[in-house]
This record gives sequence, C-alpha cells and structure tokens, in this order.
Amino acid sequence: MSLVTDRRAPAARAPHPLRAEALRGFAPFAGAAVLLTLGVLLAGSAARWQGGWAETAAQTHITVLIAVPLAAASGCWQGGRERRRRTEELWGTLVRAPLARFLASALPVALWTAAGYLAAAGLAMLATWPYAQGDRPHPELLPGDTVAVAAAALLGHVVGRALPTRLAAPLLAIAGYVGLGVLSVSHSGSARHLDPAFPIMAPDAPVWWQPVSMAVWTAGLAFAAVLAYAARRRVTALLPLAAAVAAGAVLTQTGDGLWHEAPLARRQVCDTSTTPAVCVNARYAGMLPQVADALSGITGKLKGVRNLPVRWEERDHESHDAEAQLPSLTPLGWSVVRGRLTDPREFAWGATAALQRRPDCLHSTERMRRADDAVEAYLAPSPGQRTFDDIDARGDAAHRADLRKRLAARARLAGMGEEERRDWLSAYFATAGTCDVKGVPAL
Amino acid sequence: MTGLLLYARSRALPLTLLALAGTTAFAVWAAGSLDAYLDPYRRVPVVALAPLLAAAVIGTSLYSASDELDRTSVRPWWPRRLAQLGALTALAALVLPLAVLGHAETFGPPAVVRNTLGCTGVTAAAAVVLGARLSWLPAFGYVTAVYLASSGARGRAVTVWAWPMQPGAQPGAWAAALTAFVVGAALYAVRGARAEGPRG
Repeated sequence: MSLVTDRRAPAARAPHPLRAEALRGFAPFAGAAVLLTLGVLLAGSAARWQGGWAETAAQTHITVLIAVPLAAASGCWQGGRERRRRTEELWGTLVRAPLARFLASALPVALWTAAGYLAAAGLAMLATWPYAQGDRPHPELLPGDTVAVAAAALLGHVVGRALPTRLAAPLLAIAGYVGLGVLSVSHSGSARHLDPAFPIMAPDAPVWWQPVSMAVWTAGLAFAAVLAYAARRRVTALLPLAAAVAAGAVLTQTGDGLWHEAPLARRQVCDTSTTPAVCVNARYAGMLPQVADALSGITGKLKGVRNLPVRWEERDHESHDAEAQLPSLTPLGWSVVRGRLTDPREFAWGATAALQRRPDCLHSTERMRRADDAVEAYLAPSPGQRTFDDIDARGDAAHRADLRKRLAARARLAGMGEEERRDWLSAYFATAGTCDVKGVPAL
Repeated sequence: MTGLLLYARSRALPLTLLALAGTTAFAVWAAGSLDAYLDPYRRVPVVALAPLLAAAVIGTSLYSASDELDRTSVRPWWPRRLAQLGALTALAALVLPLAVLGHAETFGPPAVVRNTLGCTGVTAAAAVVLGARLSWLPAFGYVTAVYLASSGARGRAVTVWAWPMQPGAQPGAWAAALTAFVVGAALYAVRGARAEGPRG
C-alpha cells in the first residue's frame, strides 16, 4: 500500500501560483476595499437612485470615478510588494519569464477589484429591485466599467514597480481621482469621451458598441504598459497600443453620438378615467396609481368643469394648451424616494398650479390674485398656506385686510352650490395660462 | 546626533516635511486656479482633498523600519508618537489653510483645519490596524465616497457622516472630525503602527 501512495504523491500537481496569489495576501483585501468604498457611496446617495433602474445604472457608472483610482492605487501597492519584502532578487532567480511573474502578482488584484466593482453594482440592482416602478435593469455600461477598473489595477501595478516610494500609491489614488473628476465636469472637448467615468443623465443609454470601445481603450492602454514594462519583446506593446488608439479615436470622433435617450423615456402611461387624465413617464409606470390617488382630490372637485387641460403630463418640454405639466417625479430623491411620493399634498398643490398656468403677469389685478388663491385653496391648498396666513394675521393693517379678503373669497367659492361653482370654475379655467385680467370671474 | 534627530530621521521626517510643503503648494495653486472668489463652493475639491493628501503623507511617516527593535526600548514610546503625530498635524493644519483664506463660514480655513484633523485621525487609526504604509486607504475611500454621495443628501445625520463636505461652521461635522482625531491619535499613541513583517 505504501508503494502506491508514494507513486501517487509526485503526480499530485502543485496549486497554480495564480491561485495562491488570488486567495491570499492583498488581492481579496483590495476587492473588499473597493466594495466597501462603493458601498458607502451608494448607501449615502441611495435616495437618489434606489427605485429607478436608469438612475441605478447612472449612479453605478459614477462610482467608476472612485473605483478606478482605488484599483490603480491597489495595483500600485501590490506592485511595490517585492520591494517592501526585499524579495526582488529572489523573484529574479525564477525560471518563469518576467511577464508571467508580473501577471501572477498583478492579475489577482485586477480581478478582485473588478469583482468588487461588479459586486457593488449587483447589490445596487438588488436594492433597486423591490422599489422599481417600471423600466428594466440597465447593465449595458457594466462591461466597459468593469474592464476599466481591472485595467486601472494593471496600470497601477506598473507604476508601483517603477516608482520606489511609499507615497506612490496614495499619490496615484488622489491624482487619478482629481484627473477623472476634472474630465467628468468638463463640458467641452472630445477628450472627455475617453473618460471611463464620464457622467450620464439617467434616461440616457450608450450605443451598443460604446462599452466595447471603452473596454478596448482602457484594456489596450493597460496591456501596452504591461508589455512595455515586462515583455521580452517590448515591441509587442505596439499591438494593444494601436487597438487602444483606434478605440479612442472612435470614441472621440463619435462624441455625443455615443449616447441616446432611451425610447421608453419618451413614452407616457395614462389614467384616462379622470378629467384631466393623469399621465406619468413610462419609466415610472408603477407610480401611476399613487399619482392618480394624490390628485384624486382635485379631479373629484373638477368633475363637470369645462375648459380644463386634457391631461397632466410629465415632460421636460413646454406644455401645449391641451396639457398641463405634472410636477416632475425626477430627479429621484426629492418628490419621489424609493418608489413613493414623499409629500402627496405638496405634489397635488404643484399639480393645481400647473392647471392655473398663470404666467408672470405685469399688471395682475387683485381680483386675479384672489381668484387664483381661492382656486388653489379649494382644490389643493399649499402646505405653506397656513403659515403665510399666520404671517399676514400678525402683519400690519394692509396685510390683515388682504388676508380678510382672501379668506372671504375662499369662503365664497367653497360655499357656492355645485352647479354655480362648476360654472364659475369653467369661466375661471377659460382664462388659465393668460393674463386676461378682465376675463377672470369675480368672487 | 541627539536621540530626537535620530528619531526624526528614522521616521523619514525630512521627506515628510518636504511632501507637506509640496501638498500646500499644490493646494495653493489649485485653489487659485478654481476662481473661488466668484463662489466659495468651488473650493470644495481643495478643502476635501488637500487634507486627505496631507493625512496620507503623515500616515506613511508613522512607519518604523525597526519596530521589533523599538519594542525592546526601556523608554515609553507614547510621548514620542503623540508628539510626532501632533506636531505634523499641527503643521499641516497651520499651512494648508493658506490655500483657502477667507469665507470662514463656508469653505475657508476652519473647514480645512477640521478636515485635516479628521483625515489624520482616520489615517492614524488605520495605521494601527493596517500598518502605516497602507494607512491612506480607508481615509481615501471614505472621503472620496462621501464627496460624491453627499451632494443633494438631506437630513440632520448628513452633517455628521459627511463631515469632510460640510461648511466650516457646522458643529456636527466638527464633532465627528474631532472624535476621529482623538480616537485615532490615542490609538496610535498607545499601540503604535501595526508591525509590518517581511510579508507586508
């Protein structure tokens, strides 16, 4: 039996060096550091993206601004390891080629930091899932971003090998952060399209080949640096460099054409059971019942009233006569947090103001102002109405007189009979959106 | 050579002072090129990142190349450690505000002093846990993450967790930064930087 055991022992293969490097030492720690840092960023800004798939994708993409410098600094730290351990000469005696030795210690950090980024992105998507109100997950940017993070770790490793100073890693981290940050906030120049952390607006999506080009651009640069540093034939570095330059040229030449608005963002879904109908952007289709419910007080009181807009719409452009602008649900974090309206009363008040659509009239009369105030108080009073009334009640005689007249007008509108009020409101809404001083019915 | 000079050389203090001077010069240049006289909020990158860089410089200077030998000493180390950390932090807190003079209520010298204290505290604590040469990592991760996360964040808690991004007169941010500094400095004075063996 012992003979058999002895024969088998040499046949058992030693674990691959990459396995030992990947499972022990700094690499898993670097991945955890990326995950933790991005976790702090994503948790701190959760109200601004949780619940919207496009917002989640945009915010995850913004984290590249931190993930790339952090990966570069981690690579730089790993690159200086042999110098810190004073094992450079020992490594020099190995039979493996310099490139294999380089990759054995550089690749695990690149893979772990990329895995840390992917894990953070995955967790962000999981956090959005229960609150999503429509749309679908947008993983389009993830491949390009992940490759950029891994490429930064490789580039950082080259820097770490080349610069024998303790401050190399933190300097690289801060320089990378500042450099990417400056590129991110620049609004002109084609070089900004080479920035892997280029910020995008939530409903925008990349053309399908943008992540591929970005991956070739960043990975090409990294491999060119690695080959120039460690390959036996350094001229081979020209190949990835050429690929990177070609991809970079495509990115800069295409410019703003790299991004387009997602088709879904141009669509509306409507609840036509009320007048005006209530429409929200199709990206938040699940919010329609909530929004309709918040506006049900207004639509209930407007039954039978004529001259109303056909619908409330949530759009960026100027409303047509037939449409009123719904208070915007975006950017998330203000009126909507995690798929819920934060303040339905304020939302309803905003929707009332949108119905009135009163422009800044140069010569607005007291009658017009009082009618506007009474309609607002009847349909959906402003959350601050009581405060303003209290301020006026404590003010001078003019303020108190104005308050008395306002309260009387509100009481008159509220005290009208159903038919009379419907006629009055129909006449009132005929003047909405204009400065037709004489057309506003008296109260 | 006196013991103090030997100590200073063993901690690479001349290089550290040079790096701090370089950080200040860079901060002055950056603040000047941001046209902050138009809007003090434009100084935020300098107010947040210059103290971070200074803290990284101070943190790496806490490394001892001979910590096994140090531990055999009969004299207590904590006064020296505390003096080194305190003096470097005081120096950084004194020179970095030169980059952002004025606008004390928003993003001026008080905010830079607070961030210098907070970042150095986090870095000193990290030196105890991770080792001096890697001590820049947690502060870098936290400050850069908070930089991006806190814009538009609301609530009272934000003045505490986003302390590096608050205006100079925010008491919550001062409390957080001072706590970080006191805890970090005390930990470092008592424990010293983590011993980094040959596997470091």
